[in-house]
Amino acid sequence: MAYLILSNISKQFGDTYAVRDFNLEVQKGEFVSFLGPSGCGKTTTLRMVAGFESPTNGTITLDGVDITDKAPNQRNMGMIFQSYALFPNMTVTQNIAFGLRVRNMSKADVKERVREMVSLVNLEKHVDKYPFQLSGGQQQRVALARALAIRPGVLLLDEPLSALDAKIRVSLRAQIREIQKKLGITAIFVTHDQEEALSISDRIVVMYEGNVEQVGTPFDIYNFPKTHFVATFVGSLNTAAAEVLDPAKGLLRMDGVQFFTAAKMDGLTKGDKVRIAIRPERFSFASEVKKANIVDCVIENITFLGSVVRVHILIGNSKFTMDTFNYPSLELPKIGAREQVTCSKEAVLILGAAEG
Amino acid sequence: MNSSIGTDTRSNNKIVGGARRPSRFQIGPWLGVLPFFIFSAMFLIGPTLILGYRSLEGTDGALTLDNYRQLTSESVLSAYGMSIRISLTTAILGGLIGFLIAWAVSIGGLPRPFRSLTTTFSGVASNFAGVPLAAAYIFTLGRVGVVTALFKLLGVDLYRSGFSLYSFLGLTLVYLYFQIPLMVLVILPALDGLKREWREAAENLGATPNQYWRDIAFPVLTPSILGTMILLFGNAFGAHATAYALTGGLFNLATLLIGQQISGDVLHNPGLGYAVAMGMVVIMALSILVYSILQRRSERWLR
Amino acid sequence: MTTSVASVQVKTSARKQKLWAWVVFVVGALYFLLPLAATFYWSLRAEKDKLGFEAYRRLFADVNFLPAFSESIVNALAAILLSLLLIVPTAYWVTLRLPKLRPVVEFITLLPFVIPAVVLVFGLIRLYSRPPLLLTATYDSSRVVLICVYAALSFPYVFRSVDNGLRAMDVRALTEAAQSLGANWFTILFRVIFPNLRVALLSGALLTFAIVIGELTIALFMAQHTLGPYMANLTRSKVYEPSAMAIVAFALTWMALGLIQLVGRGQQGQITGGH
Repeated sequence: MAYLILSNISKQFGDTYAVRDFNLEVQKGEFVSFLGPSGCGKTTTLRMVAGFESPTNGTITLDGVDITDKAPNQRNMGMIFQSYALFPNMTVTQNIAFGLRVRNMSKADVKERVREMVSLVNLEKHVDKYPFQLSGGQQQRVALARALAIRPGVLLLDEPLSALDAKIRVSLRAQIREIQKKLGITAIFVTHDQEEALSISDRIVVMYEGNVEQVGTPFDIYNFPKTHFVATFVGSLNTAAAEVLDPAKGLLRMDGVQFFTAAKMDGLTKGDKVRIAIRPERFSFASEVKKANIVDCVIENITFLGSVVRVHILIGNSKFTMDTFNYPSLELPKIGAREQVTCSKEAVLILGAAEG
Repeated sequence: MNSSIGTDTRSNNKIVGGARRPSRFQIGPWLGVLPFFIFSAMFLIGPTLILGYRSLEGTDGALTLDNYRQLTSESVLSAYGMSIRISLTTAILGGLIGFLIAWAVSIGGLPRPFRSLTTTFSGVASNFAGVPLAAAYIFTLGRVGVVTALFKLLGVDLYRSGFSLYSFLGLTLVYLYFQIPLMVLVILPALDGLKREWREAAENLGATPNQYWRDIAFPVLTPSILGTMILLFGNAFGAHATAYALTGGLFNLATLLIGQQISGDVLHNPGLGYAVAMGMVVIMALSILVYSILQRRSERWLR
Repeated sequence: MTTSVASVQVKTSARKQKLWAWVVFVVGALYFLLPLAATFYWSLRAEKDKLGFEAYRRLFADVNFLPAFSESIVNALAAILLSLLLIVPTAYWVTLRLPKLRPVVEFITLLPFVIPAVVLVFGLIRLYSRPPLLLTATYDSSRVVLICVYAALSFPYVFRSVDNGLRAMDVRALTEAAQSLGANWFTILFRVIFPNLRVALLSGALLTFAIVIGELTIALFMAQHTLGPYMANLTRSKVYEPSAMAIVAFALTWMALGLIQLVGRGQQGQITGGH
């Protein structure tokens, strides 16, 4: 049986559903992210797990025990907040020791556990400082140590990196993941940043308007998005309306250009309108590799994004982007030039019927 | 001699200024602030300095600390003592009650309109001092006041049983009328500064609400609470109008003693009167100083 | 079993907290409303066996009331104007060009909190009641001094109010924008800064009004026939009129403070104190 089970969880505020019929089973030691735009219900769900909100419907069980009605201070869950929420009147040591002190742990044990936690997050030099003397990244590491010190059943992280600088965000998320693996702790991580979710999680729950859109590994979520929302929210994506020409062969037509797809076309017949999607990095210039689809295009614009160069192209009358790695010897076409681009048929996704 | 030193420094300044950057000294901004400084010198600083100077003058006109030594004389000490007692009592009581009211309308969970009602009323009541306040209390708790009469109907004669509006207890009740609202106004922002996440983090780590208040909320609020109480102390200590209107200026308070000294030399020593006044300034200055230090400390936490 | 007990405990403690909040509020409201109610009741009792507004009629009919009242209003307005004329340029220059002076200016504007009114008037009398600085020789010259002191007493409120206002509107950017468009200092001050400071100026002015209008201590020792000494005298000599007077004074304070709330909606930064 799964370690943490949320079954049929709903949360209503007045007439509106913040979360609707949420089901999830989390295994012990698993790192699960709730991903979605603000207002999608991810934080509400997390707060229901923590006990700060009580679900309108459904049950939450932890290790076989129903905790739906348990008070937050009885649940033994470590929570990390976006605003760090360190106690401003306590030093780093006192902050980390707080949860242990309220558990009446012996002084010697508290000291030992705090020392262990401090070294886990590399804050040995700062143990006697107050939160206002620390940087944001350091504060969040204290918060992590404080939450882990109580040996929580589940670690809950509510957008813990959103208030930090880009560089620190990346290094701290790696650190969080490393510590989580080392301790084998179960973690739920809420974020609106798809890159963050993809890089850190064992599994991702993509949420939108209170509903679960898709649950899967980062690989699945990125490569096989099941809904239009997931496809557009995770990674960048070109989409366009197309017409089915031959369902058996996987042949489509968009603006007079023919595409082959590997996607299943069950239930579709010739003439059906569908929406297709191709990720920018799946395109390449036709001179490089031979792939299933070779199409003509016009180069519209070129933008540098650092390690990647994004080329804006026009296929038929539809605008697409393609990403190619940036290296000094890269030869880029001129703007306005006519080129051929190619992509595999696996790269062409179908996102259901096109509207209109 | 003097002039040569003068030119010396001036040429020095020029060199330093020239080394930095060739900016001209602009007279405009200084002219803009000059009236303020002259005015303050005339009506705030000058009057205080002259009292300070006179307080150091002996009966023979020579400089002496005699007047300050006499501050320990019985009549002065008892006036200071009463002022300090009333200020301390109303600061602590006003602080506690004001804090409770601020708590009730913010964290306590009363409906939102009660909060704005309370802040507006506190703004009014904290400025409703002096004669009208004294009059209101005379009609409430004076010998023929409404509440006194109500107690009589219940068979309790307040004034027979030792109560008087013109006593320590009476004055305390009156002062609380502007002390409590001042506390509410100053402490509400501090209560708002308590982040919800602190409570949640504490609960999450297993703390009970009581433990949260004992270990986090109260320690975080302590500098603000103490600081504001000190502000209240100064507020009551310097108050003159209310006590004057209530007692006709005859109660034994430091401010009233100074008032009597202005009208006629009741201490039979002008120099001592100045020393009493300066003593008040020192106590007020100390309380404002401690207040601002504590306030800065709490801002650091509550930002 | 234990789980539901815990959640019930949480819910009842929240309910208990709300109950206590109500108790505190109601007791507080009683303490604050009782004196007002008692005074109002007295003010209606001037006529025998009948409730009415006789006390108010008598108050306004008193030959000394209106002169004292109007003199106080003029004093208050003059003090407000003087205070604004002194504080606005000072706050403006300190924000823009002389930031080093800021601590000094802040310190001076806090002096009225440090020097009790009775001490201040003591010093004023000693400083200005004999040559070479004889400013209190006549009633009118004393009145000028009184107005000046009132202006000084308003510094903490007006400076803080104006300073908050200047900070909220980013004077530097506005001044530089106006300068780059070719405006001179006069235009900048009167066409750009003042209009944007309206709310701050108004709330500073109203607060000053509330404090100064019934001021007793300084007016008393400078022998001025203003509202404060008049009210003190009334309290000692009449029976019913003082109650009417207290109600009128309360209404005036409420009006001034209410107006601040009205004009300053959404703005912060009021402080009070100093009696």
